[in-house]
Amino acid sequence: MKLSESVTRISLDRPRMIAVGILALCVVIGLTALLPSVWPASFPALNGVRVDTDPENMLSSTEAVRVFHDDMKRVFSLNDIVVLGVVNESDPEGVFNPESLRKIYDLTQYALTLHGDVIGQEDPQAGVIRADVLAPSTVDNIEQGGPGVVRFEWLMASPPTSEADAVAVRDKARRIPFLDGTLLSESGKALCLYLPLTSKDLSYSVYMKLREKIAGMEGEERFFITGLPVANDTFGHQMFVQMAISAPMAMVVIFLLMLLFFRKLVLIVSPMIIAMAAVICTMGLLVATGNTIHIMSSMIPIFIMPIAVLDSIHILSEFFDRYQQTRDRRKTMLSVMESLSAPMLYTSLTSSAGFASLALTPIPPVQIFGLFVAFGIMLAWFFTITFIPAYVMFIPEKRLENFGMADMSAEEGREDRSLVGRFLHLMGYFTFRHAKSVVVLSVVVLVLSVVGMGRIRINDNPTNWFKYSHPIRVADRVLNEHFGGTYMAYLVLRAPGETAASALRGVEEPAGASLTAPAVPALPAGLGGPAEPTLPAGLGGSTSVLAPEIVVEAASMKEEVFKDPAVLRYMRGLQEHLLTTGVVGKSNSLADIVKTVHRELIDGTEENFRIPDSAAAVAQCLMQYQSSHRPDDLWHMVTPDYRQTSLWVQLRSGNNTDMTRVVQAVEDYFAENPPPKDLEHQWFGLSYINVVWQQKMVAGMLQAFLGSFLVVLLMMIILFRSALWGFLSMIPLTLTIALIYGVVGFIGKDYDMPVAVLSSLTLGLAVDFAIHFLVRTRALYEKYGSWDACHDHVFGEPARAITRNVVVIAVGFTPLLLAPLLPYVTVGVFLAAILFVSGLATLLLLPSLIRLLEPYLFPATAQCALGCRFSTSFIAGVVAIALVAVNIHQFLEVSWSHIGIGSLVLVVIVAVMSFIISRRASCNTDATSQ
Amino acid sequence: MNRKKLSILVGVVGALGLLMPVFAQEVPSVDEIVRKANHMAYYQGQDGRARVTMTVKDKQGRTRTKAFSILRMDTDDQDREQKFYVYFHEPSDERGTVFMVHKHVGKDDDRWLYLPALDLVKQIAASDERTSFVGSNFFYEDVSGRGVDEDTHELVETTATAYVLKNTPKDTSAVEFDSYTMYVDKNFFIPFEIRFEKGGTVYRIAKVLGVKDVTGPDGTVYKTVTKSQMIDVESGGSTQLDYSTVEYDVGLTEELFTERYLRKPPQEYLK
Repeated sequence: MKLSESVTRISLDRPRMIAVGILALCVVIGLTALLPSVWPASFPALNGVRVDTDPENMLSSTEAVRVFHDDMKRVFSLNDIVVLGVVNESDPEGVFNPESLRKIYDLTQYALTLHGDVIGQEDPQAGVIRADVLAPSTVDNIEQGGPGVVRFEWLMASPPTSEADAVAVRDKARRIPFLDGTLLSESGKALCLYLPLTSKDLSYSVYMKLREKIAGMEGEERFFITGLPVANDTFGHQMFVQMAISAPMAMVVIFLLMLLFFRKLVLIVSPMIIAMAAVICTMGLLVATGNTIHIMSSMIPIFIMPIAVLDSIHILSEFFDRYQQTRDRRKTMLSVMESLSAPMLYTSLTSSAGFASLALTPIPPVQIFGLFVAFGIMLAWFFTITFIPAYVMFIPEKRLENFGMADMSAEEGREDRSLVGRFLHLMGYFTFRHAKSVVVLSVVVLVLSVVGMGRIRINDNPTNWFKYSHPIRVADRVLNEHFGGTYMAYLVLRAPGETAASALRGVEEPAGASLTAPAVPALPAGLGGPAEPTLPAGLGGSTSVLAPEIVVEAASMKEEVFKDPAVLRYMRGLQEHLLTTGVVGKSNSLADIVKTVHRELIDGTEENFRIPDSAAAVAQCLMQYQSSHRPDDLWHMVTPDYRQTSLWVQLRSGNNTDMTRVVQAVEDYFAENPPPKDLEHQWFGLSYINVVWQQKMVAGMLQAFLGSFLVVLLMMIILFRSALWGFLSMIPLTLTIALIYGVVGFIGKDYDMPVAVLSSLTLGLAVDFAIHFLVRTRALYEKYGSWDACHDHVFGEPARAITRNVVVIAVGFTPLLLAPLLPYVTVGVFLAAILFVSGLATLLLLPSLIRLLEPYLFPATAQCALGCRFSTSFIAGVVAIALVAVNIHQFLEVSWSHIGIGSLVLVVIVAVMSFIISRRASCNTDATSQ
Repeated sequence: MNRKKLSILVGVVGALGLLMPVFAQEVPSVDEIVRKANHMAYYQGQDGRARVTMTVKDKQGRTRTKAFSILRMDTDDQDREQKFYVYFHEPSDERGTVFMVHKHVGKDDDRWLYLPALDLVKQIAASDERTSFVGSNFFYEDVSGRGVDEDTHELVETTATAYVLKNTPKDTSAVEFDSYTMYVDKNFFIPFEIRFEKGGTVYRIAKVLGVKDVTGPDGTVYKTVTKSQMIDVESGGSTQLDYSTVEYDVGLTEELFTERYLRKPPQEYLK
């Protein structure tokens, strides 16, 4: 007895056990994930639901660019920022009127309180970092205070009371390059408050508090809250909306479709149960294994559901057709399962392989998504082959009396008069008569597609993941209209030999913290008796101690490169060059600070808005700059040893293509203008991280596609015991994917993450159609002896089943169109398109090719054993080697040249082995016996 | 000056470790504590000079060091009017920078700046005194002294070693704190710890880490803070001042504290 048959028998014999088993599995896995999510404190050992919306996590946390990014954020004490924009377009002076400035002042004062218990944090410092808040009332102004006098003061110590004073605030701020275009817009219509947070996790509480405060403000000002942390949190929320709406909608749609096909409620409940069980177990495992719910993994349910019901549809479809012949549940099911077990296994395996190949991309969320969907598909397959037979045994026979095609045989001979039936029939006729035209047309389409693919623009922009009218996109548009750009990228310049580590000496245990540590716990926790400070040495009983003289270690100091006027002028030149790219709105650097302070120290005139001529002059300007309310601002721009500096670049858009242009502009500048001192340069900041993961994704997706193509091809060769048939089965989906990407290129849709992910996963889905088509074709060919005789039958029941499949999957994904986030919509639209096109390609191109290749596909003497044909076994071997090579390259990071040499050796070995095996005695007897 | 002499006597005896709280039984008035603490912190001797090493340490443990000399002269005997001359020795690119102050009580101080690399003398006008002292965690006001009339003072506690004063600013618009608590040593009236509070939390702490006896030319012994620290709890940074070669009553003249000497530092006092 075959394994598949014994599984079916067990299911038929012990339906109760199967049902209870699956239920128990769902409950156990479900609870493992649910309990720690609802009561995290009671189940500390288990993993609850964790949402991850941080775009940085598109790269592994150990990825070099992220490590550098994190290091530099610490080196320059930079934090994630919530941006609060205030726009007044009705007042002629914009926001610079007493009323608007008073609101801005109040909002700032309010924002400064958003830390500690106000936002529900135990740590009083957690929340808005007060010292780093940028607002008119928290930044310094430096200006002339009369002849020979330089004035230092708050830019706006208190809200101005007169129109003139309000306008004066604007005019002062405009003279400070650091503020102009950052704090206030060039037009003066808008102003931004920048609220850095100790941790981006706190952005949602801060965002909500600000919203609350703003809601109580009336007037002509408009308020916009944006910034990456806010976008992330909103994104997380929308993800759940998507899962709560789209996934159940998919369920409903599939349910309705099946009701349409089978019209028997009691039966179609079973695929729904399987889909539910597969989703619960997969998502439960995802959560329980400590993986996060990410933009990708949140799509898992909606991917598993339509795929999970496919196999059930096949079983039910066959059962529907055959039941009336025997009127015996058990016998019918056994025969159905016998004919379906192989194709079901293969279609599940190929779909699964397509998703699993996503593990070849170097993007962790994509890998997790691929692996778990692959797992879910196999789980659904297992549930299907065990549960569906068991479920049928639960249904009393009398309720099945009217089920199925009662008065007709399920044989393919019967004329189908339905619209679809007639259309498919016509299609078969057409492909038989015009096979060459179809093939030629396909080649033309392929060529055009390749042209289109050449025009693909690789670009992503996480802000555009939100729909056009979403408040975040609105805020993004408005603020970028007014300001020098809200997308930050940082260019680090440094003297050779400096590393993040050298700038972060002993950062693990900050010295400042260890100094304050004893003092803080000793302070009054409530307002009880304060711990008394201890008397210093010299007072009280102990003998007086004087610290040993501290000697300034002048000799050991390295050159302070970024005090060198030539270097600062070079930086200014670079900044000017960046403005010519057209995408940089503004940039800030140490050089700008020096120029501004120099101007005001001398006399405030434009001619002194320059870098002074000696390093000592630079140092003395900066010493004055630091004698302000915000001495630590300097360390956001340069390290205290003046060996590393960060240049802040503000981009007007989050398009990766724009960031790439800026990166290129910097490379060009360095190539054409050698720096006066040896300088290294390196980027960080989210805009740059996005570019890096996108590059990795494009390369990774190509590998994933190659990987899934090879694994599916190998499976096809094994399934059909023929390399030619294997290739044949890959043709429709290859053409489909080429066509879709060609269209993407022609219509100018950006090749972004969702579009990239589609290629390899559709491959696994779309090949199903070819499998069914070719398997049935072979069987029918054997029966009728020629394509001429059998093609009409192929376009009967098999074509109908394929059409049904296309409809279920394509329509099953359409609820994604309702999702509030664009990546989901993109996936929904493209999946539906791909499935329709590949269904069409299968039904048009495959029969045409079969017609043309008939003599080769159905040779007079067919060898069945895989090993007995040299070409097939050799090609299978080569495909297997290539598959291994792709994986080795990705996971062991071996260079292609090494892999190439190794593979070549293996290919020769495979060739020899294939030759020997194909010449072995058993094959000969096999051949002669035919 | 009876009480002052008494406290010096107590200091001498205390330093010998012979007796402790006998004289501290009697609690002086708040005004007296405040006046004495102010005197001990900023006005000992007729004039004085000190060489100071300043080490600024940030949250990441990175340190920067500056070395400067302070010349100080009292221009009245009310512990009010005062003149400062701060000359920077290190780092070398700041050498020769001079910061001069004519301190007034009840009106804004006069401040001057000399930057040698730009050969520039500038007068400084500032809206308030709560700005960083050359990039350190000390404020200008911590170095020059906050006028005792600017706050209301309250003795909140007397402990075994200290008078604990709570000081609340009269004009809240010019300062960023709500109040500060000062721990004044009972024997010598040295304020050895000050905790600044804002919104109910302590965010800045000034500490005295070392005190030494310095004997003046006439034999007077001055209890002198030789090591102090300012901790910024919010930023995690701190600054330490180490005083060496402290001298009192060196005979400075008012002429030194004029614009003329900004470009021509009095080298004999800056060794």
